Amino acid sequence: MNLSAVRQLFTLALLFAIGASISETAHADEAGTRALLVEIVHADGDDARQQLAMEGLAEEGDPIIGTFYEAYRSGNIFIKKVASSDSPLVLMKDNKDYTNLLTGESVTPSDELKPSRAGRGLRKDLKRLVDLLDLSSPDLEKRIAAADLLGKSQNPEYLPELKARLDKQTDEKVARAFREAIYICELKSGSDTEKLAAVKALGEMKSLPAKGFLETVAKEYETSTEPGARALRESTRKAIREIDDYQKIVGHIGTLFRGLSLGSVLLLVAYGLAITFGQMGVINMAHGEFIAIGGYTVYLIQNYFVNTFGVGSSAYEWYFVLSLPCAFLAAALAGALLEKGMIRFLYSRPLESLLATWGVSMILQQLFRLQFGAANVSVSAPQWLSGSYSFGGVSMSYSRIFLVAFAFLVIIVTWLLMNRTSWGLHVRATMQNRQMASSLGVPSGRVNMLTFAYGSGLAGLAGAFISQIGNVGPSMGQTYIVDSFMVVVVGGVGNLFGAALSSLGIGMVDQWLQPILGPVMGKISVLITIILFLQFKPGGLFPSRSRSLDD
Amino acid sequence: MDSHAPLYRDTDLVLSVESVTKSFDGFRAINDLNFYLGEGELRTIIGPNGAGKSTFMDLITGRTRPDEGTLTYHQDDGHDLDLTKMREYEVNRLGIARKFQTPSVYTQHTVYENFVLSLNRNRGVLKTLFYKETAADREEIEEVLELTRLADRRHELAGSLSHGQKQWLEIGMLLAQRPRILLVDEPAAGMSDEETERTAELLIGLRGKHSIMVIEHDMVFIRQIAKKVTVLHQGHVLKEGTFSDVANDPVVKEVYLGRSKHEDAA
Amino acid sequence: MNRLLPVDNKAEGAVFIGLLILIAALPILNAFVPEGNALHVSSFQLSVWGKYLCYAVLAMSLNVLWGYTGLLCLGQCLFFALGGYAFGMYLMLMIGELGAYKSTLPDFMVFLGYTELPAHWKPFYNPFFAVAAALLVPGLVAFIFGVLAFRSRIKGVYFSILTQALTYAAALLFFRNDFTFGGNNGFTDFKFIFGADIRSDGTARGLFIASGALLIGVYWLVAWLLQTKFGKIQKAIRDSENRVRFSGYSTTHFKVFIFVLSAMIAGMAGALFVPQAGIINPGEMWPTKGLDIVVWVAVGGRGTKIGPIIGAVLVNMLKSWSTKAYPDTWLIILGFLFVFVVLFMPNGIVGLWAQGKAFLARRKSKTSPADTGSTDDTEAPGEIEKATS
Repeated sequence: MNLSAVRQLFTLALLFAIGASISETAHADEAGTRALLVEIVHADGDDARQQLAMEGLAEEGDPIIGTFYEAYRSGNIFIKKVASSDSPLVLMKDNKDYTNLLTGESVTPSDELKPSRAGRGLRKDLKRLVDLLDLSSPDLEKRIAAADLLGKSQNPEYLPELKARLDKQTDEKVARAFREAIYICELKSGSDTEKLAAVKALGEMKSLPAKGFLETVAKEYETSTEPGARALRESTRKAIREIDDYQKIVGHIGTLFRGLSLGSVLLLVAYGLAITFGQMGVINMAHGEFIAIGGYTVYLIQNYFVNTFGVGSSAYEWYFVLSLPCAFLAAALAGALLEKGMIRFLYSRPLESLLATWGVSMILQQLFRLQFGAANVSVSAPQWLSGSYSFGGVSMSYSRIFLVAFAFLVIIVTWLLMNRTSWGLHVRATMQNRQMASSLGVPSGRVNMLTFAYGSGLAGLAGAFISQIGNVGPSMGQTYIVDSFMVVVVGGVGNLFGAALSSLGIGMVDQWLQPILGPVMGKISVLITIILFLQFKPGGLFPSRSRSLDD
Repeated sequence: MDSHAPLYRDTDLVLSVESVTKSFDGFRAINDLNFYLGEGELRTIIGPNGAGKSTFMDLITGRTRPDEGTLTYHQDDGHDLDLTKMREYEVNRLGIARKFQTPSVYTQHTVYENFVLSLNRNRGVLKTLFYKETAADREEIEEVLELTRLADRRHELAGSLSHGQKQWLEIGMLLAQRPRILLVDEPAAGMSDEETERTAELLIGLRGKHSIMVIEHDMVFIRQIAKKVTVLHQGHVLKEGTFSDVANDPVVKEVYLGRSKHEDAA
Repeated sequence: MNRLLPVDNKAEGAVFIGLLILIAALPILNAFVPEGNALHVSSFQLSVWGKYLCYAVLAMSLNVLWGYTGLLCLGQCLFFALGGYAFGMYLMLMIGELGAYKSTLPDFMVFLGYTELPAHWKPFYNPFFAVAAALLVPGLVAFIFGVLAFRSRIKGVYFSILTQALTYAAALLFFRNDFTFGGNNGFTDFKFIFGADIRSDGTARGLFIASGALLIGVYWLVAWLLQTKFGKIQKAIRDSENRVRFSGYSTTHFKVFIFVLSAMIAGMAGALFVPQAGIINPGEMWPTKGLDIVVWVAVGGRGTKIGPIIGAVLVNMLKSWSTKAYPDTWLIILGFLFVFVVLFMPNGIVGLWAQGKAFLARRKSKTSPADTGSTDDTEAPGEIEKATS
């Protein structure tokens, strides 16, 4: 026996040894899997040997099995004779490239390639193996997805496999997915008693994916006069009703949550505006561009982390946390500069501050375009913010949950700043009477600058969050700016609590109307609603008592 | 309050305000207010800050609507009109003119144009488009120009007038409206002693031709013009009577005059 | 005011006469000077100038509102686009069967699977109906919005923001395919206007002359309005709305009237713009366009008769020159220009003369800075009442 064969056998032996002790969560060894696959190809014709390898393979959960299966099925597995007495290489063809199946290295093919094809039986076994592959995946999400898929196929073949694995599931969510899959399978292939139990169980589980299958069952037994059909029919209807009710609740909660998260974005944007516009009387049309500054700050920091630490590194996970203060500071700095350089000359001329900041907005947008390109840049979420939290059919993405929580934090912090610090006192004094405040010793110049910077910084924060749930581009701010002005006007200018309430309200109404009317008509309806609302409450939800504003 | 009604039973009333209440965010600016203004009367209204004097004028002129109570305007022909349902311009067209605390004139128009825009006719959109100045209009304007001593400044922009002159211009604009009721909010504010004196003379001269309500703080001024004084306190009529009646009332002294004397002394 | 020329001073007169000469000369140079001659004006150039004139009318319509009445409308582009769409509907129908699909229906309708012309399109075969619609539709929209806004005393910045929201909503609506106005692409590829080939030199001249006539007509109208009592009320509303109200005028009626008038002028400008530009799409009513118009007026000088015309023509010339010369930075140039104008030229180009004189006078006398002629205080309401006495 030559050296190479020895090595192969050794690997095999090792694998079997390990295989015996493989627990469901053990990480698959890709090299071992590859060795087993090679063995299967070599053992073509020797059923016993192949069976052995298959059993070993069954314990593996490596995705390479799927790739191999596809290649084997479509005739892209070749055997290459080697000049020496070594055992022939097994090559896998992917497009035009050949790789050594054992090592995964790419290989230059020679003429003496002999295609190898799997027999029918083997192919079937492999297929099953591939289908069941993810059921043992160490990734729980994948496992749930696999169970889901198998359940929906209603293929009775998988039933024993699912049942066998059910007991091993320690995670409650995974176990639920397995049970769901088993019951759905049984809806088709089970006996009447099994079916009845499955129907009841699915109803109790309020299984949303089962609804369609239950409806099939209901149809099937619609006219049947068999004994037990009645009970089954009724339980099915009851189960469907239960699921329907639940689905509605889930829908409402989903809408509520989406509204809340849109409202939170609006809140972050509008809070900045409410401060600069409401408290200071400055219409900052460049507010949207401060949002973009926040977005691009996140982008730059992300790139820095990718270049310095790499995408997979644990340091990368922290980039977003670091970008939040940076986005705030970058936008706040821009705001301070704008206030010092321009806006302080325009305090008595609100319409002209609108025009001048519009000019600034044009300049900034074009600068973004020149620096970062006209297209949106891609900002990816760190691992801990991607994915979503599922709760009884309601799925809420982590980034949005974080956003909502952060928006509330901003409300609280702003409230504290305004009501519990001397700065806040100064802001409120300056807002009520600029001249009086400054003659009483309030450093109104500095107060104005800091207030404006804070409002702008909030826009930057909003931009940072939008980078996680939307696009970062030169005109990203424009998407939100009209809505945000509406929020401030509806909330009652100068009233932060009103702004908070109206942003959440507008967010909710928007998300509630969108599925009914479509995105565009929904938006238009919101705008029209706002215009009509102002008919009855021209001062917004909480009209300002300061008369200098309305006259 | 019923006690006020008998005072005017034998007089023709132009304005009756009965049990009017108005709150802002829970704060009662006007609280069960009863007030009657007689034809040709010159009434002075005093009261400490926050007594609701300006809100009272807002209510009469349709700028604010009362929560409760009635505001009735008694027309020449004997018909009564409910002021609470009218908009400012409609109230004004009835012949109720108002002067604001801070002079409010058209700064970018000449003095003459200010008066043209104040004449009590041709106030619809289309009428203003095809308006032609008549001899009668010119005569009326000349009259007011003389009265307000602004004749030689007729072609100057109102914005270039002194503060006192602006006050006079605004009073003149009110007169050009030929109103039945004149509501005058702090006419002497920011005026020199001489100007104040002349303003008082002007108002006294108008007595009988118009029913006049004057809000003032300046006690010297009030003493000069006042025949009947109404004291407002916390949105309610505290006392009504002659200047000396009011000035000697202990309650009034406590809530208002005491404080005011103090302020005046300072 | 000069009886023959609606101008107030010599400078205004000079610009106005220059404008008249330009409007008369360009079509003549196009028709009678042979191609190749240095003085020849091509039909393309003529239509470019025709567009500038339409923009000038648009700027004047905003000035009537903002400059004289103090209502800053950020949705003036909406009325312009509505007028454009109304006349564009006629032009679309005149394409007949020459479209890509050889159908009597406009191409986009065929593409969207329409088999019959929607009812509201049918009257637009008649050009006079289209012109009337270009006037009335913007007027109606302005009337409804104006009544709602002015009745509830929405003004100042709130009015501006709401008009912007209105424009935004309308643009979103027009972007929709099923709104029957061509969606994203709008209307284009026009062929005929009043039976004539839309690309012919004669049509270009006709449209240019029509634009010039509209400009002169609107100018005269504005000048006439200003010297009526109505015009004085307009300015009075700008300076002290409460005083106007307490002098027995319904400021709501006046504002609605002026808003509707301004919208109709903008609609006319749009109707003439579309055949010269050859296209109308929802981009024309995007909120940024509304702000562009404000820029023109501010640069030229708001509250003056000639300022908006100068502003619209100069800014658009600068724009078309700089988009070619500095494609990357022209927005930045424009932005800086704008900031500069707002900060240092509050009365725009027209105000420069007075500004310079005041500056020199100040330097000479060295007295305290008198604010003669400054319009700063027109922005602040004339009467800031204190809270309850």
